[in-house]
Amino acid sequence: MSDLHIASVTKHFGETSVLKGVTLDVKDGEFISLVGPSGCGKSTLLRIIAGLETPTSGTIAIGGAEVTQLRAADRNLSMVFQSYALYPHLTVAENIAVPLQMRQMTALQRLPVLGGILPGARTHKDDIAQAVRHAAEMLEIAALLDRKPGQLSGGQRQRVALGRALVRDPAAFLLDEPLSNLDAKLRVQTRAEIAELHRRLKATFIYVTHDQVEAMTMSDRIAVMMGGEILQCAAPDVIYEDPDDIRVAEFIGSPKINVLPLERNGSALMLFDQVLNSHLSTESPKVMQMGLRPEALQLTQSKPHLTGRVVHLENLGSEVFAQVALDSNGSRVTLRAMPAQRHRLGLGAQVGLSFDLSAAIIFDAGGARLRHVEGAVTCAPEVA
Amino acid sequence: MTRDWWKHLVLILGAIIVLAPFYMMVSYSFKSPGEIDRGEGGFFGRQEQMIDPRCIALRQPGRADIEAARTRFLGQDDASVQASLLAETEAACSMRPVVFNYSKAFTEAPLVRYLLNGVAVTLSIFLIQSVVALPAAYALAKLNFWGRDAVFGLVLFCLLIPVHAIALPLYIGLAKLGLTNTYAALVVPWTISVFGIFLMRQFFMTVPDDLIDAARMDGMSELTIVWRVMLPTAIPALLAFAIFSVVAHWNDYFWPRIVVTGNRDLFTPPLGLREFKGDGDGSFFGPMMATATVIVTPLIVAFLLAQRRFIEGITLSGMK
Ligand SMILES: Nc1ncnc2c1ncn2[C@@H]1O[C@H](COP(=O)(O)OP(=O)(O)O)[C@@H](O)[C@H]1O
Ligand SMILES: [Mg+2]
Repeated sequence: MSDLHIASVTKHFGETSVLKGVTLDVKDGEFISLVGPSGCGKSTLLRIIAGLETPTSGTIAIGGAEVTQLRAADRNLSMVFQSYALYPHLTVAENIAVPLQMRQMTALQRLPVLGGILPGARTHKDDIAQAVRHAAEMLEIAALLDRKPGQLSGGQRQRVALGRALVRDPAAFLLDEPLSNLDAKLRVQTRAEIAELHRRLKATFIYVTHDQVEAMTMSDRIAVMMGGEILQCAAPDVIYEDPDDIRVAEFIGSPKINVLPLERNGSALMLFDQVLNSHLSTESPKVMQMGLRPEALQLTQSKPHLTGRVVHLENLGSEVFAQVALDSNGSRVTLRAMPAQRHRLGLGAQVGLSFDLSAAIIFDAGGARLRHVEGAVTCAPEVA
Repeated sequence: MTRDWWKHLVLILGAIIVLAPFYMMVSYSFKSPGEIDRGEGGFFGRQEQMIDPRCIALRQPGRADIEAARTRFLGQDDASVQASLLAETEAACSMRPVVFNYSKAFTEAPLVRYLLNGVAVTLSIFLIQSVVALPAAYALAKLNFWGRDAVFGLVLFCLLIPVHAIALPLYIGLAKLGLTNTYAALVVPWTISVFGIFLMRQFFMTVPDDLIDAARMDGMSELTIVWRVMLPTAIPALLAFAIFSVVAHWNDYFWPRIVVTGNRDLFTPPLGLREFKGDGDGSFFGPMMATATVIVTPLIVAFLLAQRRFIEGITLSGMK
């Protein structure tokens, strides 16, 4: 059993508080991504799980046993570092063998000359060589086993680092931005391979990244971190369609979600000067924000909610993203259109946009989701 | 290139100033005493047969020798037998100056023994210094513990203490322990090198933290990390330190002179050099310079070998 429980973990470095009470449960065999902007404490959290850093407060449990005070070496976790961190003086085969040597052989057996003549050393050595070859074949680096890390490309080093992590059977794999040093094409390819590796090994993966695409494509669940907190932890589609917080909505999704200001006037919900709905409870806040995904906006000629001029166009072939500067307040919104509509989206063209209010995600001024407001406006649709 | 000619000029002048004494040393070790006195013979000297005056003085034929040799020179009177014997001695004692100088270097004093002493002492010092400095430097560079900065401050402070200032207390301490005139006296005071700790610490600061964390994840203890990760990556820095340490202690005259009094079996090479100084029969420059040449050669050879290794180094690119 290798489920993982992280309970109200905090971490201070001197005066600065990096983690502000993180709680996370990871099920056995789950692939969880920790995603968030740089500096939000993802690596710190991963290092606390690994045992490389001690939390200021809170506990970590692996497979039901508390490990908060245990050394990294005794937690039976594997980690892949962003910088790969291969031993530069060892060959690829020796690099991959290190975790096995450290765990299966005694200090005496590891001695350079003496170790070779001790009883049992021979079989240990054969077992380890076998395991190394197996891992290398799984990662298709068997041809590189005799090289030094300095003679490898970035992608190959990355595979060696993976090999070193999976050569033994750890309770969980921890990966800290393992793809961020690769070029774009290799990143996409390795992304798929890691996901496949997870399916094959059925092991628990905790994957740190600042790239929301990686998180969206690989994970069972995504934990969005910001400012030392987990804002939401849920499946990728839930995170995308049903975010709890405007920061989650803004971080996930490319291009970014459009945010427009809403006001409540009596029981009327106002966008700029239009009434979108007049059935609001007067309990709801006066100032609100509305998030609209680019695909929720449609080009329209009759009765548009918004009007503006196209200021920028990105044609991706299968779809077109247009930035429209709104006439109402000059802010820009992004619209996803089909290639067939391109002729209406010339630079500088005047366009009208409409949307379905049920696709809008409404937040209060502080960014918290207002599900009851959404409920009120979608139950009584009265789109002007 | 043409714009930089003056840089080369300065470097060449510097090189001449540094190399001139070595040139003299090697040249004198080839020449006969007469050539050295008169300053002639170029670099190698003329290598004419010369006669070792001491050899002649030691083998001066006495009454008994003449009696014993009479059978070989039948029918000759004593004077001519003596002359023949003298001629034989002279022939036996004549040799090329270079042979004379280098054979004297090895026969006049047990130079081989001194060289072995030097090797044993400098290697022991370096080994123990490394065993102390590597873990200390690792702790100072990569571990967080209370008072680390204060300890590092002390290391820097110790760098400022000149050896000569503490020589007397050290000597008294060793004397009280009854350790003077032992190998221990030559080695023990140098086993903790703050310079080594400082140098290795500065190098370890450049080793990525991730590498150490990876080693921890792989199940290594902190000491295992020192020997299996830090030491192999630090070979270039350790070689640099080895050069400083070995050169300093191989060439050291001051300390061995203080703690080795009388017992010639413990002499290190620089102490051996002293045996050639003014022995009453005038200066003995040729053999002395030959000894000096023999003493510096291992260092120069070792340096040239290490220098190649220096440049090759260990590529740290695996960490990037
Ligand atoms: N050892 C440390 N000492 C002081 N501050 C640290 C240390 N490690 C990380 N931090 C700080 O903690 C914050 C979060 O760091 P990190 O967890 O590496 O962020 P992320 O991986 O999400 O980019 C950063 O502001 C960083 O400066
Ligand atoms: Mg990070």
